[in-house]
Amino acid sequence: MTKVFCTGCGVVTPVGDTPEAVFLAVRAGRSALQLYPAQPEPYMASLLSREGFNGPSFFEHIAIEAARKAVAQAGLDPSGPRVGMVLSTIKGNVEQIDSEDVSLAAAATRIAAKLGVTSKPVVVSNACISSLAALIQGMRMLRSGAYDHVIVVGAEVQSRFIVTGFQSLKALSLQACKPFDAARDGLNLGEAAAAMVLRAEMPGQAGHDGVMADTDRPSLWELVDGAVRNDANHISGPSRTGEGSYNALKYLLPLVNREQLAFVNVHGTATRYNDEMEAIALERAGLLDVPVNALKGIFGHTMGAAGILESIVSMQACDAGMVLPTQGFSELGVSRPVWVSAQEMSTHGTEFIKLLSGFGGVNGALLFRKGGAR
Amino acid sequence: MKHMSIPSGADLGALYRQVAGDYPKFFKMDVLSKLGFLLTEMLVADETDRFQPREDRAVLVFSREGCVANDRHYAASMADFPSPALFVYTLPNIVAGEIAIRNKYAGETSAYVLEKYDEEQLWALVREDFQDRCTQSALVAWIDCPSDTVWQADAWLVSREEILK
Amino acid sequence: MNELINELKLKVIEALNLEGMTPEDIDDNAPLFGDQGLGLDSIDVLELIVLLEKNYGIRLATPQEGKEVFKSMAVMAEYVAANRKK
Repeated sequence: MTKVFCTGCGVVTPVGDTPEAVFLAVRAGRSALQLYPAQPEPYMASLLSREGFNGPSFFEHIAIEAARKAVAQAGLDPSGPRVGMVLSTIKGNVEQIDSEDVSLAAAATRIAAKLGVTSKPVVVSNACISSLAALIQGMRMLRSGAYDHVIVVGAEVQSRFIVTGFQSLKALSLQACKPFDAARDGLNLGEAAAAMVLRAEMPGQAGHDGVMADTDRPSLWELVDGAVRNDANHISGPSRTGEGSYNALKYLLPLVNREQLAFVNVHGTATRYNDEMEAIALERAGLLDVPVNALKGIFGHTMGAAGILESIVSMQACDAGMVLPTQGFSELGVSRPVWVSAQEMSTHGTEFIKLLSGFGGVNGALLFRKGGAR
Repeated sequence: MKHMSIPSGADLGALYRQVAGDYPKFFKMDVLSKLGFLLTEMLVADETDRFQPREDRAVLVFSREGCVANDRHYAASMADFPSPALFVYTLPNIVAGEIAIRNKYAGETSAYVLEKYDEEQLWALVREDFQDRCTQSALVAWIDCPSDTVWQADAWLVSREEILK
Repeated sequence: MNELINELKLKVIEALNLEGMTPEDIDDNAPLFGDQGLGLDSIDVLELIVLLEKNYGIRLATPQEGKEVFKSMAVMAEYVAANRKK
């Protein structure tokens, strides 16, 4: 099977605009979460500054920004016929629902045009796993042979629409969220954009972007494989048996080098039910002896960007030989003895798994491996 | 491959009573989920072992407008009391989840938004999704409903052999 | 009280889209959640919380509180009678 590598990353977040800066912020436990006033009640969130922005769509603006950074790092000409684009978002431009065509497809078409992408974009909108599902789709597009590169970009901006919705579900915490903690009482919403350029390996030849010579491979991250599975249980309540998460992990386990598995970066929204569900899935998958961390205590839940952003930070951490701490966590509050990384730990591992879950009963898992390993 | 369609504006309550009738949750669904639910009922009605849990069937849903009809209902409810029951349907993939729950499909469920109904692009994505080694068949749907009364609703039941031949 | 119970039943049927049900179909003392009775779920609880706020000015902070109040139509009616602000 064709190998898929990540040759460029780009991020736009409230705590930093490069993967390196964001990694340092996470390491230092520096988050942008703060309480925003609103009626009928305030909400805690990690939001981007709109200062100096006056275009029609802030959502599209940050998506383009993140994608441009990834494209620049990859040294890619996005206009070629064999460059694809996948957009991940949940609500896109929904704040303009009363006045505009808020179709995610229209947004994707405009983003692709701004980037100079000439192939037809596709939007993956699979609730809170959208960004992992989009990376998986990007891998599949490369493996189909129809593309050499795929730009996968995920972005989310917050709006009254989303905030009031989560408030009506009683899912938001008024404090900085506490993934897997005994005192956790809900999630925080977040804004971010994150992008990766994925590239199919063509054995024996360096790519036209020049970054895929064999000598470059060891420094690149490989996206080994991924899966999406449904709980088939409830549209908003996580499975009591961790069914979908477990099944997604089960699909990957035969591909994992257990002694090289540095950590599992979980969804960890800090709602009672999500974190408990993940703990059960991790136990069923035999992963209780692997460090686990969650980054929502830094970024909040960045929805359509979460999987790409959290994977980029996880790559940085692994490159630095480190398991990042779980901001907000102090005392284990799930029924299974999950090894949550409370403090920074060192690791020699060269692989990690990214997990996400979402409404509609969807769950996703993706295995990353350092390119020169194995 | 098997194909079903629901004409735009059809009486979905009447259709439900005709093809299902035993799933009152239907009436809580948004129009997108109702259409997906009914199309699936029509496609798999005669399958043996229909409600046996299975992981080898994917549900892949495509549209242009996603769940915009329901998004507008939710936005209207925001004016006084935001409705949680409407908010949970403000996602284009909930229809796939409803189909999975009803039929105990524990395989992949995915939702895609395309600029228009583009046969070539849609089926290329479906073919790609069969790269998941577990997936042996897929329920594929194009359900585009800009409002509660106007839609295109088509679904196909396809096997790995049919797709990869 | 019977009048209030009937009023609540009509509102619940409408808010939760309980198609084809009439107030007579709902036993005053039957559980609203779980496998018996109406078989309502976690989203229904949240929608009932909205119903109380919208119609009676009652604000419940958590779904857990709701589970107590929504044990049966009779319990709900008692709670509304005791706590209503409009």
